[in-house]
Amino acid sequence: MDEIALRLPSTMTQAEIKLCSLLLQEHFGEIVEKIGVHLIRTGSQPLRVIAHDTGTSLDQVKKALCVLIQHNLVSYQVHKRGVVEYEAQCSRVLRMLRYPRYIYTTKTLYSDTGELIVEELLLNGKLTMSAVVKKVADRLTETMEDGKTMDYAEVSNTFVRLADTHFVQRCPSVPTTENSDPGPPPPAPTLVINEKDMYLVPKLSLIGKGKRRRSSDEDAAGEPKAKRPKHTTDNKEPIPDDGIYWQANLDRFHQHFRDQAIVSAVANRMDQTSSEIVRTMLRMSEITTSSSAPFTQPLSSNEIFRSLPVGYNISKQVLDQYLTLLADDPLEFVGKSGDSGGGMYVINLHKALASLATATLESVVQERFGSRCARIFRLVLQKKHLEQKQVEDFAMIPAKEAKDMLYKMLSENFMSLQEIPKTPDHAPSRTFYLYTVNILSAARMLLHRCYKSIANLIERRQFETKENKRLLEKSQRVEAIIASMQATGAEEAQLQEIEEMITAPERQQLETLKRNVNKLDASEIQVDETIFLLESYH
Amino acid sequence: MAEVKVKVQPPDADPVEIENRIIELCHQFPHGITDQVIQNEMPHIEAQQRAVAINRLLSMGQLDLLRSNTGLLYRIKDSQNAGKMKGSDNQEKLVYQIIEDAGNKGIWSRDIRYKSNLPLTEINKILKNLESKKLIKAVKSVAASKKKVYMLYNLQPDRSVTGGAWYSDQDFESEFVEVLNQQCFKFLQSKAETARESKQNPMIQRNSSFASSHEVWKYICELGISKVELSMEDIETILNTLIYDGKVEMTIIAAKEGTVGSVDGHMKLYRAVSPIIPPTGLVRAPCGLCPVFDDCHEGGEISPSNCIYMTEWLEF
Repeated sequence: MDEIALRLPSTMTQAEIKLCSLLLQEHFGEIVEKIGVHLIRTGSQPLRVIAHDTGTSLDQVKKALCVLIQHNLVSYQVHKRGVVEYEAQCSRVLRMLRYPRYIYTTKTLYSDTGELIVEELLLNGKLTMSAVVKKVADRLTETMEDGKTMDYAEVSNTFVRLADTHFVQRCPSVPTTENSDPGPPPPAPTLVINEKDMYLVPKLSLIGKGKRRRSSDEDAAGEPKAKRPKHTTDNKEPIPDDGIYWQANLDRFHQHFRDQAIVSAVANRMDQTSSEIVRTMLRMSEITTSSSAPFTQPLSSNEIFRSLPVGYNISKQVLDQYLTLLADDPLEFVGKSGDSGGGMYVINLHKALASLATATLESVVQERFGSRCARIFRLVLQKKHLEQKQVEDFAMIPAKEAKDMLYKMLSENFMSLQEIPKTPDHAPSRTFYLYTVNILSAARMLLHRCYKSIANLIERRQFETKENKRLLEKSQRVEAIIASMQATGAEEAQLQEIEEMITAPERQQLETLKRNVNKLDASEIQVDETIFLLESYH
Repeated sequence: MAEVKVKVQPPDADPVEIENRIIELCHQFPHGITDQVIQNEMPHIEAQQRAVAINRLLSMGQLDLLRSNTGLLYRIKDSQNAGKMKGSDNQEKLVYQIIEDAGNKGIWSRDIRYKSNLPLTEINKILKNLESKKLIKAVKSVAASKKKVYMLYNLQPDRSVTGGAWYSDQDFESEFVEVLNQQCFKFLQSKAETARESKQNPMIQRNSSFASSHEVWKYICELGISKVELSMEDIETILNTLIYDGKVEMTIIAAKEGTVGSVDGHMKLYRAVSPIIPPTGLVRAPCGLCPVFDDCHEGGEISPSNCIYMTEWLEF
């Protein structure tokens, strides 16, 4: 524990801070944004200093911190002399960009039920299992045919499966003390969680079915932006799992994305069967290998054969052939580490992630500067250091063009020059100038561009919405009127009349707006995919 | 009677005779003979007579004087050349010698100067002279376009000077290289596809998707798209550019000596491949390709709100 309260200045770039600011504002509103960005900029600070420096009332700061802590965006620490300091987790704030991807992934693995469970957990930060089950059951019932409801048991089952596969985990909680400490309580509780309890589902007997809402007074999409810390809902019955809160396990999702990227790379380079074998190997290593390990644990060919998906009918010999091919392939994603058990194989995670990051760099060079430039880039990557003349010769590109392209990439920081003087006076005519690619620094440069790009996309999206604000509000009013009229049993003709309040060109405008907003949204998520690959390489 | 010392005049002390003997010897040993050899052959001739004879032969241009590690060598000069050089003086002969030694790589004028220790003006005069006599020619080097190398008139310049198959008259043939690049790729692509569709066991499938550099070379030769004769090495340089394009991968396998296409017990195999990732997310957004990215910020002249690239992209 640090004795001195370290106030480290933020190591985040302007682009990252700007992006965090946009995200916090969009999800939680002005006040939370102000406090959050302040903490990101200044490092860790105690409550009163925050209030003073931002000129916000103590009460509002407390509420803002509540929200931020609830969503794991801010953490706190009790220092000596009882001072509690709050620190923002900037990289965690940036993960909010990835929420749609987490939710969609759960949908593909555990269908709609799983999707809504993770969505609720992400939107609320932390929830008890009983609260999640109830909410999700209600939401699913809403979408079902009249008369049908979603049973709590089914939702509970999915929840348990999510916990078993580590996609959701328990939050650290107040440690249960045997004898209550006679002394004054600490200014802030220190929350702990035991490794083995992290995925332990409490024994609940949740019985019930989802209820339909009668009117859309508070649907999930239109929740008020400034969120309040969640108390359990106003139930008269005692909550059976009070104090046991759950959150989405982002690291587990990241591991899944990483596996997906590796499998699809193998599918692109080799074939479907090879990629399925790699997928099987990664699945077998899910629990045994940590995310930052360079290799998975060695798996024997026999084990792999037994673990192949049920529908896959390939013989053991064919599997062995595929494994040999994978191990010999220049990709080097799979390696052979021994001969026992029919052959021991590992997945070279570090190499795979490096290759994916490099491929990302190459893709950007190709799209931005053209194929010839990409050829030069890959050439220098492979040969590590080259003189200009050598680049011309190997790439078979005329001298003038090659020079132009090298300088372009140099100025955009995709390449750097290494000087090797022949004489002590470093005279330029007697110095070797070697072109080289520093992958780490190029990746960092590109990451920075990604953050700024997403900030640009969000700003454009907000601009488009603002431009059409009047029309949007009108459209919402009309919707509300129609809904209430439907509820009171109005006639078709009356409904028609109200709908016509929005003219055809206005409808067109709304359509265009919707399309644009969706396109910008989708683009944010796509750029985040690039961010994921580049960050995984560090 | 007083004794008279009679100097016995050897029968073949005639200077012309000596010269002819020396020439005969030179013909016998076309690589050159040392002074020792002449002495052995005609031991009765004094050193001075020998020297006179040799000097006469040299000045008549019938002998070449060379220096070797063991000493001086005399070599019969090519009679044809001997005729040519009749009018030239020693300096010219020296320069000519140097150029001849450079073979088909040619030699730069500055290097001629170093080797002969003659002043620049002299060198230039001599070079012009020799060029007009059509004994040497200047070839522009592809490496440095201002540099001229000199070589004997009837020699073919070496590849390193002319650039080989990819240069015609000092111009790099970009389109030719491009066409070869595409043709090689198409060949490898179709080979990989037939392998994929054959649906045999994975080992055979993979092995049949490879083509050796020899195979590709044969295919290109048979296509007949090249006016110049291409070697297997030339094709390998083209295939390497495909590797740098990310379209082809190469493996080296050990091959028995004598297998068609193997060099030094190795064979290079090439295969068409697809990229491991599709174009990345960043380049699908307008900001990823934007040329004025660094100048863009909200509230500025270029901003996300008024970005024309975004507008175009949204309308697409």
